[in-house]
Amino acid sequence: MGVTVLQQFPMGENKTGPQTIEFLTKRVVALGAVQCGQFLVDCETYMSVPALGTPRTVHVLHNSEQPASVFSLLETGTKTIPLVADGLFDLLMLKMTPIYTSKKQTKVESKGPRFELTDFVIKLGSVTMSQNFKGILVEVEYRPCVVPANCWELLREFLQGFLGTCVQNIPPQYLQNRMNDIYQPMDTIHQYLDHFTMYRKASGMIQYQ
Amino acid sequence: MQREEKQLELAMDNIILRVNDLKNSIGQMIFKIEHEYETLHWPTFLDNFALLSGQLTSLSKMLSHDKSPALRNLTVLPLLLSQERDETLIRLTENRVPAFAHDLVPDYLRTKPEPEVENKMIQLDHKAAGLSFDTAQKQMAAYSKVVGHVWEIVSKAREEWESEAGVRGSATQTSSVTDTQTLVAAVALGKGLKMMVPQGVQPNSQNPMMMSPMGRPGSGGPPPQGPMNPGQQPGIGKAPSGIKTNIKAASQIHPYGR
Amino acid sequence: MSTMDVKEWGQLSSQQPPTAMDSLSVALKGNIIPNQEYLLQGSVLDSAVEILLHRLRGLCDNVDSGPETFHDHEMCFSIRGSSPQPLLLRVRRALDTQDAPWQLRYIGQPELGAPDAKSRPTIVRSSIDIGTSSTVVDFLTELGCRLDFEYIVRGYMFCKGRMKITVSKIYKMGQGKPPESLEPVSQSYLVELSVLAPSGQDAIADDMRAFADQLRPLVILEKVDYKRLPLSAMP
Repeated sequence: MGVTVLQQFPMGENKTGPQTIEFLTKRVVALGAVQCGQFLVDCETYMSVPALGTPRTVHVLHNSEQPASVFSLLETGTKTIPLVADGLFDLLMLKMTPIYTSKKQTKVESKGPRFELTDFVIKLGSVTMSQNFKGILVEVEYRPCVVPANCWELLREFLQGFLGTCVQNIPPQYLQNRMNDIYQPMDTIHQYLDHFTMYRKASGMIQYQ
Repeated sequence: MQREEKQLELAMDNIILRVNDLKNSIGQMIFKIEHEYETLHWPTFLDNFALLSGQLTSLSKMLSHDKSPALRNLTVLPLLLSQERDETLIRLTENRVPAFAHDLVPDYLRTKPEPEVENKMIQLDHKAAGLSFDTAQKQMAAYSKVVGHVWEIVSKAREEWESEAGVRGSATQTSSVTDTQTLVAAVALGKGLKMMVPQGVQPNSQNPMMMSPMGRPGSGGPPPQGPMNPGQQPGIGKAPSGIKTNIKAASQIHPYGR
Repeated sequence: MSTMDVKEWGQLSSQQPPTAMDSLSVALKGNIIPNQEYLLQGSVLDSAVEILLHRLRGLCDNVDSGPETFHDHEMCFSIRGSSPQPLLLRVRRALDTQDAPWQLRYIGQPELGAPDAKSRPTIVRSSIDIGTSSTVVDFLTELGCRLDFEYIVRGYMFCKGRMKITVSKIYKMGQGKPPESLEPVSQSYLVELSVLAPSGQDAIADDMRAFADQLRPLVILEKVDYKRLPLSAMP
């Protein structure tokens, strides 16, 4: 587990999602990356029933990189509480249905090929929301380092190297406040949720920025 | 004279009966050891022993009874020895003695120890007679001291063992149903664990939640660190609106803020 | 996506990782999730606990290592939505180890009402045991759960095959009191014999009965009917 940066990749003018993934795949393979399987990050969102009072939202995410864990983020409006749990947490959410109900149409996932290039892991994800293609998210992890501040420059250079100018010079918003903390799997989940939320807000818009 | 003979016959019948019983029991036990040694349990085996010992006791009681004829005063004379096979004898002795012959009779009718044993006894008698009174006395004293000591150890151990068994056996209580109920109620329902019980709470009979086994006793005292909210009491399990305020109140307070 | 199936990427590349929900429903269908708890409960007086521990040491598997001790804090939460029946959740954390995961547990109603409940040798109730991060209390509180009660539990754990035996002392939460002077709930230790198994494995209940019989008359382990507990006598 190392520091991970999640980057949105803008869709080209006349390109479909699969074409864009193919294009990026060629680039990373040209760099020497080797594909090692597929990956999947999904997110399901549950809303509290009105009887519970203040509305609250629970996002339940899974990451194939940590297949035995379930990541939850509870949003109360004023704060966000993370929870990492065993796989059986999903079973508990099923028990919760009278109190928290799933908004099926907002189920988001990002999946695609996973590459390894020496110390880097690269994932090219196509984001879909209830089967509709929404965009491309590129995840890059630098495995030897767990403190973002120590490897952000390296990651930025690497990302810009194969993604180009869409990568900004400043770290993603989420990481900015945690540059000197030890990076944890939950931090990756947070970044995914931030992006997923933006896709949901864009509601069907493929264009971004 | 005839009366005595009759009495003797009766006694002999009785003795034979007992001896046969004893013989059968021993036979059964041997059978068990030979054929059921894989499944034989200690308790059954000990039961067998108890049976044997009971039969032996009753036999010796009978022999020492006042009314039983003094068998030692009677003599058995071998009138006729024969090398011939005797079918009746074989049947009577269950194939053990085929003929009433010279090589067996001395063993079966013996009333004195074997000559070798007798010799050894005489030797020991001589040795004993040869001891001086003082030495004998000393040896006896030493011996009784040792025996007394062993006796003491054994009886002490027995006393301890019996008292311990007594303590356990006399049903010293090791568990209590009331305690089980208290503990289970505490762990499962929180009985006695809610530190603040609001005053003026109605007995639980009117609380519909009590119908559920997991319903909360003490009719929903607020969480220990929670605020005392008098308005929440009537709401429990009654109207959803009441529940709402209830949960809001609880959720605003972080119970681990201590 | 056809270019993605180029052979040199190997077998793996064509395999999509299953979604967690798919895996879960497969596991549910295969009935491999241990979501049923078989339970017998009893107690032993403080004065006799040593004898019980001694006997358990002889009967159970962990003979060499001796019994495992534990010292936990358990919090019981409930959450109510629109249904009148609250959902009960328990959180347990170890006080004797720092980095052990916290345990979140859902326990269903004991199936005493089931038609064959009486003939069953043990209590059977649904149970979901989940290891979690330490944020779970915050999480539950903000989720809308309220803390009903909490206690400290300290004791010994034994194993016998799939069976778990705990002998534990229950203490009231001390408000700032040192751990030694906590007030015990009773002068007895709670004894629980339990197995977590996928549903339908009722044979284990008979094994539990047989084991419970070996502890008689020291401890009487039985199905405690929660509906018949004396609740009116609040201390």
